[in-house]
Amino acid sequence: MIEVRDLKKKFGDVHAVNGVSFTAKSGAITGLLGPNGAGKTTTIRMIGTLVTIDGGSVSVNGIDAATDGEGVRRTSGLLTDARGLYTRMTARENIRYYADMRGIDRAKSDRTISRFAGWLDMGDILDRRTEGFSQGERMKVAITRALVHEPMHVILDEPTNGLDVMTTRALRELIKRLKAEGCTVMFSSHIMQEVAALCDEIIIISRGRVTAQGTTQELLTMSGKNNLEDAFVSLADMEDHDANMAKEAA
Amino acid sequence: MGNSVNFSAVLTVWKKELIDHLRDRRTVMMVFMLSVLMGPLLLVGLSFFISNIEEKAEKKEVFILGAANAPQLANFLARQDFTIKDPKPDFRELIKEGKHDAVLVVGKEFGEKFATGNAEVELVYDDTRQNASAQSISILRQIMRGFNGEVTSQRLMARGVSPTVTRVVETRNTNLGTPAQRAAALMFIIPWMALFAGISGCTSIAIDLTAGERERGSLEPLLLNPIDRLSIVLGKWAAVATYAVTIVMLILAGFALTLVLIPLPKLANLISLSAMQYLSFAALLFPFAPAIGALQMLIATYGRSFKEAQTYVTYLIFVFSFVPVLPMFLQIKDADWQLVVPMMGQLMVLNRVLRGETLGAIHFVVPLIICVIIAAVSIYLLNKLLHKENIIFGRS
Repeated sequence: MIEVRDLKKKFGDVHAVNGVSFTAKSGAITGLLGPNGAGKTTTIRMIGTLVTIDGGSVSVNGIDAATDGEGVRRTSGLLTDARGLYTRMTARENIRYYADMRGIDRAKSDRTISRFAGWLDMGDILDRRTEGFSQGERMKVAITRALVHEPMHVILDEPTNGLDVMTTRALRELIKRLKAEGCTVMFSSHIMQEVAALCDEIIIISRGRVTAQGTTQELLTMSGKNNLEDAFVSLADMEDHDANMAKEAA
Repeated sequence: MGNSVNFSAVLTVWKKELIDHLRDRRTVMMVFMLSVLMGPLLLVGLSFFISNIEEKAEKKEVFILGAANAPQLANFLARQDFTIKDPKPDFRELIKEGKHDAVLVVGKEFGEKFATGNAEVELVYDDTRQNASAQSISILRQIMRGFNGEVTSQRLMARGVSPTVTRVVETRNTNLGTPAQRAAALMFIIPWMALFAGISGCTSIAIDLTAGERERGSLEPLLLNPIDRLSIVLGKWAAVATYAVTIVMLILAGFALTLVLIPLPKLANLISLSAMQYLSFAALLFPFAPAIGALQMLIATYGRSFKEAQTYVTYLIFVFSFVPVLPMFLQIKDADWQLVVPMMGQLMVLNRVLRGETLGAIHFVVPLIICVIIAAVSIYLLNKLLHKENIIFGRS
């Protein structure tokens, strides 16, 4: 379970995250849906203890992020939007580096790498240097690297951003597989169809706040709309925003 | 700010960074080849320089235009075993260009005026061309002084006056500099190059592991590992330090092998370094290069990109390259306070080692302590920086 309570973060005068609360249930897929700049990335960085928390709390599997950041990072697998690889090293060496750092023995990490290679169809690139890898190939290596310790809590920031259809599909399959293995998965996206297709529960974030939380059906009901896009726009408080923009333009 | 250091993670980071950087073949080859070749190139160059000077002095040749006008002077030179050579016709231009030794010009009226006592000769040289003709200028001046002295004595004696009247104080020359010390004065370039190469050699890896890591977008995921950031910093520094020490070893090996294997005329008998001297070099250089490596990492971390970091580090290296010039400009004499100034202290002690002087423990311990402080403070600040959001995510 990932619990976020009244989370706050300010950059200068901007409230990037302004009182976000939600719970990502164990064994479920939770989607963090919101427009660009809504505060998704900052929220995920606070869960990953990369960014200090100004207010509120985060706990992953009962471990408090503020007091035991290392504990959170040990038990969870995080993928943020920075996915840089070492280009002079092979894909396998890139992944092994993180496995070694976590103290995982070679045999075990090699087993995990082969398993992910099968799932993500990257057997032929494993022992190639990552120089010149396509965005999809880089993504596959980065996600394997982030999950090489087989964590039970997986948090991914816009994992399908900029990927082609094939890789996106492979990634969706991976997320489903992780759930089937009992993982708690949370990922952010700004594409509502993707979130709707995968998630058990959706959290809509806009301008640093949670504006709605529920299943796809619940969100449709809540908004009184009959299609997802309208529901998203309505629940993300976008109508209001659009109206203001129109007023300003006039 | 953190838990205890995770030594196995330090080791993992160290190993990965070394292997990763060593695969940057072109950079590594450049650095290592230059380090190995520096000794041979410098020593061979110096050896030619020294033997060239000695040859000129030994040759005892002087350029005089119109020597026939001054048979007395020609006679004086012949008695001193000097050979008189005619300068090239366009010697004035050649001297300006630094291609001709100084020339003494004797006019036609010399013989006539010599008898009456107001003869003149012209010494043609260009003192902005120090290297080319400094030796020949001083030889010609010496000759004229000697000739004047001899003629004066003869004329005084002819008038019944003792020549000692004009020589109130006689200067006896006692040069305490041993040949080794004279060679050392020239060879100050060796420790300077060794120090400098130790610093500049690890610049590429220091930047690659800090600003490069962030520019690649691999810093953020790296910090998502359950590792204390101090352990990551220590691992990276250990890699830079290993690299730096390797460079210094290659440089010293280059010097040592050159002295043993290449027959260097004039130089071989002037410098033969003992094992103790090599150990002294190592004792000074081994802590210095890694400490400045840590400082370079710290400065590079402030760079938004690899390029920007490179600019900052270049400034640092510029400052360091300027340090040895300071004592020369300010005419500072060797003093113990210099031991606390990085680079200046090392350079002073290295020079003394080259001169074969006996040194106390203080000369090694004080620079060592300064290096430890530089490294410790740099690592402490690096760790602090890696906790800053604007450093991790880059500033915009």
